[in-house]
Amino acid sequence: MMTLSFLQTPSAAQVPGLPLRAGLGLKNEHFTEVLDTCPDIGFFEVHAENYMVAGGPFHHYLGLIRAQYPLSLHGVGLSIGGENPLNREHLARLATLIERYQPQAFSEHLAWSTHGPVFFNDLLPLAYDVAALNRVCEHVDQVQSTLKRPMLLENPSTYLQFQRSTLDETDFIGEIIRRTGCGLLLDVNNVYVSCINHQRDPLTYIDALPLHAVAEIHLAGFAEDTDSLGERLLIDDHGAPIDNAVWQLYEHVLARTGPVATLIERDNQVPAFSVLLAEAQQAERHLSRGRP
Amino acid sequence: MTVKHRSLSAASLVLALSSALSLSALSTSAHAADDMQKCFGVAEAGKNDCAAGAGTSCAGTSKTKDQANAWKLVPAGTCTQTPSTTSSTGFGQEAAFTAKS
Amino acid sequence: MSLLEDFAAALLASDQACPAGLFSSNGADPASRFAVYRNNVHGSLINALATAYPVTLQLVGDEFFRAMAGCYVQASPPASPLISEYGATFSGFIQGFEPAASVPYLADVARLERLRVRAYHAADALALEPQAVLQQLQTHTELGTLHLQLHPSLATLDSRYAVVAVWAAHQTEGAIATLNPWHAQGALVLRRGLEVKVFAIDSGSVAFIDSLNQGAVLEKALAHALEASAEFDLHQCLALLINQAAITHLSLEHKVSP
Repeated sequence: MMTLSFLQTPSAAQVPGLPLRAGLGLKNEHFTEVLDTCPDIGFFEVHAENYMVAGGPFHHYLGLIRAQYPLSLHGVGLSIGGENPLNREHLARLATLIERYQPQAFSEHLAWSTHGPVFFNDLLPLAYDVAALNRVCEHVDQVQSTLKRPMLLENPSTYLQFQRSTLDETDFIGEIIRRTGCGLLLDVNNVYVSCINHQRDPLTYIDALPLHAVAEIHLAGFAEDTDSLGERLLIDDHGAPIDNAVWQLYEHVLARTGPVATLIERDNQVPAFSVLLAEAQQAERHLSRGRP
Repeated sequence: MTVKHRSLSAASLVLALSSALSLSALSTSAHAADDMQKCFGVAEAGKNDCAAGAGTSCAGTSKTKDQANAWKLVPAGTCTQTPSTTSSTGFGQEAAFTAKS
Repeated sequence: MSLLEDFAAALLASDQACPAGLFSSNGADPASRFAVYRNNVHGSLINALATAYPVTLQLVGDEFFRAMAGCYVQASPPASPLISEYGATFSGFIQGFEPAASVPYLADVARLERLRVRAYHAADALALEPQAVLQQLQTHTELGTLHLQLHPSLATLDSRYAVVAVWAAHQTEGAIATLNPWHAQGALVLRRGLEVKVFAIDSGSVAFIDSLNQGAVLEKALAHALEASAEFDLHQCLALLINQAAITHLSLEHKVSP
C-alpha cells in the first residue's frame, strides 16, 4: 500500500524547506528587475505549468533566479480533487521540473481542474464525502511516491457547497494530512473568502485545521461581488492588495504556528515590483513579531 | 519548365554559392543588414515579453462580462484604419459584413 | 452521471443552467454563485487568448475579440493544463468565423502570433557562428548535398496578405495609417538568444526554409524554392539565416532523395 511507504518519511512540516520568511510569486514581467536589484526576499514561487516549456527565456531567467533564491513550485493543473485518474504525463513533467530546479517545496490544490478531455483552467470545488476523501488520498500518495517527496496541499476558496458533502472542509483536510503525511499550505485569503461566502467564522475554521502541518502560508487580495440576495460574494482574484481582515487572520495563525514561510500572491493587475516588495516586508514584520 | 531543367539550375546555383558567400563573408553585418532590410523588410519591433503568451493562474477572474454575441458584432479595431482593397471583393470594408440574426 | 460530470458540462454549456445538488449557505440562488465558476473558466481562457494574440485583438477591437474568443473557448476548450499551448487551432477557427470575414488577413496575423509564442518557448540550441558556417560552406565541395539543421524556434508562414507589415504596424505608433495589407508576404519567425524576431520574406524563401526544416538537402530545398518563385535569391536567404544565427548544424548527407 502506497500510504505505508510514506509513513516512514517525516511529514512535510518537518522537512527542511522554505526559509521562515516572506516570499513573492515570480512574474515574468519582473525577471530582469529581480536579477538587476537582487531584492532581499526569502524565496520565490512559480507556477509549475508555466515552466513546462522546452526552453527560452522562462528557463533562462528561472535558472538564474533559482541560483540566488530558494524556490517554491506551485502546481495549478494536477486536478488532485478530480474524479479521473491523475494525468501521468503531467506528473512526469512535474518530476522533470523538480529534478531540474530542486525546489524547497512543491504544493498543489484541493480542487479539480480537469474532467474527461477538458482542462478548465480554474480551481473547481468538490463534494466532501468519503469517496472523495479516499480518491484525494490516493492521488496525494501517488504524487508523493512519484515525486519522492512530501507535497503541500492548499485549502480552497469556494463559492458554493455540495448537498452531498458529509464532512466539514477542515475535517476533510485534516484526514488527508493524517493519512498521507502531506503538509498544509494554508491560504489565509482562501480561508477568509470561503468563510465569508459560506457564513462561517474564519477563526473557528482556522482552529479546526491541523495547524501542526502548516509548512507554507499564502496571502493575497480578493474582489467583491454580490450574489442573488445582494450579499457579499468574495472572489479570490489575487488582483488587489491583501485585505486588513486577512492580515488579522494571518496574525491569528502565526500566534498558533510560529513563523511560517509566507507567500504574497498577485496574479491579476500585477503592480510594480516595489509594491509587492512592500507587502512582503509587511509580512516579514508580522513574522518577526511571532519569533520567540 | 521540366523538373530536369529546374534541378539543373538549382545545381548550378549551388555551385555559384561558395564564391558568392565568400564575398558576403567579407561584408560586415551592419552593411549586410542594410541590404537585407531592402530585400526582406526587417520587422523586429515589439516587446519581447508579449511573445510569452499567457501563463496559468490560481486566481479567479472577477467581474468580467463576456456575454456579447459575436454574431451581432462588427470588427471595430485598427482594421478599420487600414485602406480597403481596390479589388471587387470588398475585403476590409465593414459594409461587406452582414450580421446573422 | 457523476457529480463532477454535471458540473463540468454546465461550465461550458451555452445556456446559463446551474447543476443540481449545489447550495449557498445564505440561501442565495446557487446559479448566482455558479456563475462565478463559469466566468472564471471563460474569462481566464479568453484572457489567455487575448494575451497570446495581442495584434489580432487590436485589429478587431476588444469587444469583438472577446466575443470571438468566447465562441472558440466553447468550441475548443483546452485539452491540456499547459496554457501556453492553448489556442493552437485559434487561427483556423478565425478563418472560418464568418463575422470576421471582413478582415481576411486576421487568421494569418493570428498564425504569426502563434509562431511567436511557439518560438519564445521553443527548445534552446546553440547556433553556429556566422563565420563558422561560411567557412564550412566554402570548404565543402558537394554543397548540393549539404544538410542544414535550423534552430528549433524557427518557423515560416506564407500569406496572401502583408502579414508581417500588419503585425509590425502595431508595434510602432502611427504606422497603421500608411499600411497596405493587400499584397502577399511570407514571414520568418525565430528566437535569437532571448528575443523573438519576425522577418518579412518572399514565397521562395518560405519554400526553401520549409524544405530545409523537413530535412531536404540544399539542392533539393533550392529546387523547391525556385518552384515557388523564379525570383528566389539563394544568397539573400542564406545570408539572413546565417546572420540571424538560425543554423545549428551543418552536415553532408548522402541519402537517396525520395
